[in-house]
Parts: sequence; C-alpha cells; structure tokens
Amino acid sequence: MIKMSAFAASTAMVILGGAVPALAQDVAAATKEGAVSIYTATDISQAETLVKAFEAKYPGIEVKYNDLGTNGTYNRAISEYAAGQVGADIIWTSGMDQELKLYNDGLLQEYKSTQLKDLPDWAAYQNTVYASTIEPVGMMYNTIAFPDGKGIPKTRAELLTLLQSDQRVKGKVATFDPEKSGAGFLFATNEARTSPDSFWAVSKAFGASNGKTYSSSGAMKESVISGENAFAYNIIGSYAIDWAKANKTLGVAFFSDNNAAFSRLIAIANGAPHPEAAKLFIDFALSKEGQESLAAKGLPSVRSDTSTGMNAKNLADAIGGPVTPIKVDEGLLEYMGQTKRVKFMNDWRAALGK
Amino acid sequence: MADHIPAGKMPAFVAQRQDAALTRGAIIGALFLIVMMPVGLIIYQSLLSEAFFYKSAKLALDAYAFILTDPAFYEALYTTVIIAAGMVAVAVPLGGVLAFLLTRTDIRFKRALEILVLVPMFISSIVLGFGYTVAVGPTGAVSLAVRHVIGFVPWNIYSLPGIIVIAGLSHVPHVYLYVSATMRNLPSDLEEAARTTGAGLLRVLTDVTLPMVLPGMIFAAALLLLLGLEMFGLPLVLGDPNGILVLTTYIYKLTTLFGVPTYQLMAVVAVLLVLITLPLIWVQRRLLRNARRYAALGGKGNRATPLNLGRRGQILALGAIALWLVISVVLPIGGIILRAFVDAWGEGIDLTQHFTLAHFKALADVPSLYHGIINTILIGVFGGIAAVFLYLVIGLAGHRNQGFSGTLLDYTVLLPRALPGLVVGLAFFWVFLFVPALHAVRTTLISIFIAYAVVGLSYGLRLIQANLMQIAPELEEAARTTGATALRTWRDVVIPLTRPGLAGAWALIMIIFIREYATGVYLMSSGTEVIGSLMVSLLQTGAMDIIAALAFVSIILTALGLFLALKLGARINE
Repeated sequence: MIKMSAFAASTAMVILGGAVPALAQDVAAATKEGAVSIYTATDISQAETLVKAFEAKYPGIEVKYNDLGTNGTYNRAISEYAAGQVGADIIWTSGMDQELKLYNDGLLQEYKSTQLKDLPDWAAYQNTVYASTIEPVGMMYNTIAFPDGKGIPKTRAELLTLLQSDQRVKGKVATFDPEKSGAGFLFATNEARTSPDSFWAVSKAFGASNGKTYSSSGAMKESVISGENAFAYNIIGSYAIDWAKANKTLGVAFFSDNNAAFSRLIAIANGAPHPEAAKLFIDFALSKEGQESLAAKGLPSVRSDTSTGMNAKNLADAIGGPVTPIKVDEGLLEYMGQTKRVKFMNDWRAALGK
Repeated sequence: MADHIPAGKMPAFVAQRQDAALTRGAIIGALFLIVMMPVGLIIYQSLLSEAFFYKSAKLALDAYAFILTDPAFYEALYTTVIIAAGMVAVAVPLGGVLAFLLTRTDIRFKRALEILVLVPMFISSIVLGFGYTVAVGPTGAVSLAVRHVIGFVPWNIYSLPGIIVIAGLSHVPHVYLYVSATMRNLPSDLEEAARTTGAGLLRVLTDVTLPMVLPGMIFAAALLLLLGLEMFGLPLVLGDPNGILVLTTYIYKLTTLFGVPTYQLMAVVAVLLVLITLPLIWVQRRLLRNARRYAALGGKGNRATPLNLGRRGQILALGAIALWLVISVVLPIGGIILRAFVDAWGEGIDLTQHFTLAHFKALADVPSLYHGIINTILIGVFGGIAAVFLYLVIGLAGHRNQGFSGTLLDYTVLLPRALPGLVVGLAFFWVFLFVPALHAVRTTLISIFIAYAVVGLSYGLRLIQANLMQIAPELEEAARTTGATALRTWRDVVIPLTRPGLAGAWALIMIIFIREYATGVYLMSSGTEVIGSLMVSLLQTGAMDIIAALAFVSIILTALGLFLALKLGARINE
C-alpha cells in the first residue's frame, strides 16, 4: 500500500511536471488583464521566440517588451516604484546583483512558480527570483590568428602564459570592462572571489600587454572578427557560440577545468499592473516550452529536460568543461557595498597599471 | 480688443502696450516653467545625498565633494577641454579658408559646393563614430588597403588625436556658415586694392580679409568650444576601447561605478557642465552682437568682385575641398553602408562572400525596431510642425521685446542647451513620472516630443527669429497704430509674411529631431522607440549589425530631410 501511494504520488508529479497546464481560471484572469509588460536587458532578437511562443499560446495577452539595458531596467524600476506608477510586470535582467538589490528593497513580489521543482536548487531564491538561463563565461578568438584554436588556453594558468608570452595577443587582447559594464563587473568580481590569485595575475598580464577593455560582448566580437583583437576573454560565451556558428573568422573556447556561468534573473514587480499575466509569463518562461524557445536563440536552459539547444545537463559536454553557476543569493550583494566596490575598482586599475 | 475698454478710462496706447506685455509675459512664463522643471530638478538632485525620490534623501554637498575629489573627473574634464580646443584648432582655420574660397574667389562649381560643404553637419555624431570605425578603424576597409601598400596603418582613430581630427573635420561647416555670412557682407575694394598692389592670394587672405572677419571667427570658435564640451556620440564610440572619457561619457560611467545609478553624482556633473558652458554662451552672444556691428561697417551695395584663383589655384582649392569631403562624408557613410550589408568585415575577409540583407529583415521583423523607424518619421514630420508652431509663438513673444521678459527668454532658451541631452532626458522622465497631471503622456510619443522640443529650443528659435527679423518694424507699427492687438498683429501681419521661411525651418528642425539620440535614451518605452536612442541602447549589447542598419535608415531619412529643406529654400545656419 505504501508503495502504491508513492507510485501514485510520483505519477501525479510526472503528469503535473511534464507540461503543467495553467489552470483555466488563471488564464482567464490573465487574459482579462490583456497585457504583460517586461522590463529587461535581454536583446529582443534573443527573446523573440519566447515572446512569440507566449503570445501564440495565450492569445489576448500582448507582450510589451522594453529592452532597457541593465541600468535602464533598474533605473526605471526604482523610479516608477517611488512614484507609485509601477509600469513593469516582469523584471528580467542579467544584472544579477541589481535584481537581488531590488528584492532586498522590497520591489519584487513573491510568487511560487509552478515550474519550481524542475529547476535546480541554485536557480530559485525565496520563491521570488528565478534564474531563467545558464550562460557560461568564455573566450573568443580570431581564427586567422589562431588557426583551429591552436594555442587557445584550456586553463587559467594557460591563459596567464598566453597573455605573458604570446606575441599574437600583444596589444590585441580584449576583455569586459568592469568599470563600464554591470556584466563585466559581475564576471570580474566572481573570478576575483572564486580564484583570486589567477584573476589578479591575469589582470596584471592583461594590462602589461596593453589590452583593451570594452563595455559589451558585441563590441568585442566586432573587434575580434575584424582582427583588431586576436583574443578576448571573460565574455558571454553563449553569445559567442552563436556568433561563431555564423562566422568562420570567430572561434569560441572554454576552460576544461571550470567555467563560471551567469543567469538572467526573472521576477514579478511589486505593484505590477498585470499580476496574473505576469505569473503566467514567469511560468511559461521557466517551462520546458519557454526554456526551449530561449535555448533556440542561444540562451542555455536551466532545466535538464529540454531538447533544443543547450541545457543545465548537457552544457558541460557541449562546451568541453564543467560549469559552476553563479549562485542566486545574498552573496551577489557583497560588491554592492560601496567600500568593497571602490576597493575592487582601485585594485583593478592598479593591476592594469592605470 | 481695444473697444472693450470703456473710453475715457484708459488711453488706447496704454491698453495696447499692456495686452502685448501680458501675452508675451504669459508665453514666456509658461516656457520658463517647462524648462525649469527638468533643470530645477537636476540642480535640486545635485544637492541631495541620494535619489530625490527616496525619503531618506537629505540636503548634502557630498556629491559635489565626491566629484570634485575624484581624479577621474579631472581627467575627463581635461580630456574634454583638450578635445574642444583641438576641435577649434582644426575646424576654425579650415572653415575660414573654406568660407574665403566660396565667398571671395571665383572657385568653380560654387553653387553645388555651397550645399555640399554643409553635409557633414547633418550626420549624427553617433553614426559618424560607427562609420569611421568600419572605414578607418584599426582593421577598417581603408586601413587594411593602406597597410597593404605601406605595411602599417599610420593613424589610430581610437586615440585623442583621432577623435580631435574627426570632430574637427565634421565641424568645419559650422565655422564656414558664420564666417561666410560675415564675408559676404564685406566690401571687396580693400582686397582688390591689395591685389592690384601686387599682394598674393595668401597675403590678401591673411592681411586683409582675416582681420575683417576675425570677430566672426572668434564667435565660431566659441560656438565650437561649446559643441565640443557637450559632445557625446563620438567619444562614446571612439573613446570606449581605450578608456578615453569626456565629461558626458563620465556621467555614463558613474552609473556602473556604484552598481546602481547614482543620480546625485550625474546631476553634479551636469550642473558643473552648465557652470562651464553658461559663461561661454554669454560671451558668445556678446560676440555675436559685436560681429553684426562689424559686418554692418562694410560698404553697402558694393558688390564683391571675386578674386581670380587661376588654374593652379582652382585645382588646389577644389582638390582640398574634395579631400575633406571624402574624409568627413564619404568615409563614414561608406563605412555605415558597408557594415549594414555584410555580416563580417576586417582582416582576411572577402566582403563579397558576406553580403546579407538579414539586418534589414530584422528591422522589418522586430517590433521595437520598426516602431523606432516609424516613430522617428512621425516625430520628424509632425513633431517638426508642432515645434515650428511652438517656436513661432515663443519667437513672437520675444520679437522686439526689450523688457524683462525678453531677457528672461534669452536665458531660458540657453539653459537646456548647456545640459547634456542624456541628463535632460532623464530629468524629463522624472517630471513625467512624478507630476500626476503628466502621467497620461509619459508612455506616449508626446513625452519624447516635449523633451526634443526643449532640447532643440535654442536652435529652432534661432531659425524662427532669423525669419522674424526680416520683417520691417514699420509694418507691425502700422498695424499697432491702427488699433490692432498684439495677437492680431502677429496673426494678420507677421505670420503671413514669415510663412515661406517657416517651411524651410520645419525641414531643418525635422533633421535635428531625426538625428537626436541622447535625449530619448531614458524616455522611450515599448512602442515609443526612436532610432537614435535605439542605437545608444543597442550599443550596450553591441549589436553592431542592427546599429549599422538603423544608422543607414537614419542617413536616408536625414538626406530626405535635407533635400526637402533645400527644395523649401531653408536658410541653413547653426
């Protein structure tokens, strides 16, 4: 009997978990709201399939997509909240630390997603904030300078050697600028936290070889494809994988021992004008279908059961090295403290010899 | 109306003067309010300890203390001054020579050149930046060709000198406009006298013409300094890779420095920028008054006889102008067109293999992008019309207004111009957010239009004023003496007479609105995107191919606007 009920329970879970159909009355309430407004830092070109799939599944709910960048998203969220004029239903940003700060300041609304149990433990925080992607940090190189990727580092130690002694990257190496980009800051501080010795040694070597810093992965891609830079590291690897597919001059690489990965965090805004539609959207974005539509555009899924593109399970194989996601928790706020932040920036500048 | 006032109680002329003063006062007062809302908010924000909308915000000078002790601020300030001064050093001599050639000599193709030389000033500086990167960046098409021949690339546009030369060359038309206006009014007898006594062309230029147009050139230099201080697009694109910061991009960087936007610091930099630029504007206006006086000294009705350049002179002059146009128009626009139609460029890449229309397909497919294009056209065409109407009303209120409200108007107009567009846009975003009566327009195009109209105020108003000044005061006085109110005089006399000029002004304002980029960054939302601000926000993710396609569309729209302006007989000035 005990066995039976356990079986029954697990069957029920499988049915529920497979493709949890939203309850009819929830959909009706959301449709009545008619729209869901998203403030985000994700390019529409990458979210397009997700948005279209959502609109197709829930006709009558229009997605208002506001691509504002990380700072724009945060700025608008806090300003509107203070004015009592909240316009966002969903706040979906790659500024992980900013999303946590919004949570801390009470600007996000609790909602236990129906998809919760299909997400890894690290991907959900306080039943409010969810990781919607798992995007490994990686390296890009010019395939004319590095044919077949020969000489591209496999470990952080090799990266250091490359920067110190390879003539091909002398004055032709790029990295994300932690002073100008929130994502760049996140990557850099995460490295500084998890492998401080190699991070600072690499940064010094980067400065010594006259490296250039950029405020976006796209600008770095442009410079690597054109040959202006031969090599770039600490970039958004999932973007690079897609770019490299479209362009033979661009190669992408990851470490074989360990790679960090960041996530786009998604949550419902406190005071959202369309709360029901917002819930529907979060569930959809985290569902198998929603995650597959993101993965199709090169944003790997946090789930393990998707069959399009990369996901949490096959990511390590796909990039040839294990992945450690940046945890969604208070740790992200560590560098929001001004003294710590300023100290990091000063250390960074000193390492670069500025 | 005069007949509403009981006879005998008040002399008719007193009533008239009062009605004019009232109308004018009301208009100028309203404008003052509209401008002061964002400007006042910025000043107020600069004096607070954190964002003004937080209850814990207190009056404090901490933000000033931070900025004024931040080495990065002084570095940015220094770079800004160097760039502005360098720009003057490049553009003023070239603009002066250009004006001399086109107004005082018999240079060939004068008609066509008079229009062609203005083209660089209509290209938005953010478009310019991208164009140069693709054409003459470290691995740009031209750079690679040069390296193929001589083995290395002799320039680097991501450097301070690179930015200065590019900015300088693109501002030559501004100088040309002012100096040529002064030169046209000069009598040619002095130059002829010099020529007949055996002075060479260069000697005439330096010893005779130059001293006479010096006030005009100093004025142009002051204007350029101002434009240099406010420059945002070029340093944003070209300064980024090497970490070259100017004040306007320093504001941008302040945001990430602290992880969250530090509005008080942004506001402080904006206020400091105003403190630097306002005196400059004041000096510039004084100079303008003087410059006009100098020009008026010239003999009237004495038609200038053009100096003979000779065959060699013609070739040299035309060659130099052509070279300059190639550098400041063909290179950047060619770069944009190239990038818009290929998916890869640079070293070892055969461009013919990479031709694509995919970027334009994205413009048609992605809602925010096609909204951006449609909205930009709407704002240009209809916003332009509305702006002309607004500027006309304001222009009339200030027209021959010697009173207090006239002076107030002068300074009100200048304020928004002294602030970076990005910050004005942010302040307007707050005004629309925190003033309940304005909530309805916040997420509509109207909010962007209002911000644009305020940012373009000083330029647009000058266009209108140029038209108004052409009407002889006798006509207005005649109307007033026969008992017409101020409004009636404007409606029946002034406006009909200026109408032809207004069409040209509309086309020019349209161009200004189309190429604007910084103001809308914080204001636009889903459905109200505009091309310029889309480019700035796409820059954050680095979607260069989409940016190039948008820039291409922007160039086409600007070209159409310019064509229209010329058709409508616009009087182009800065």
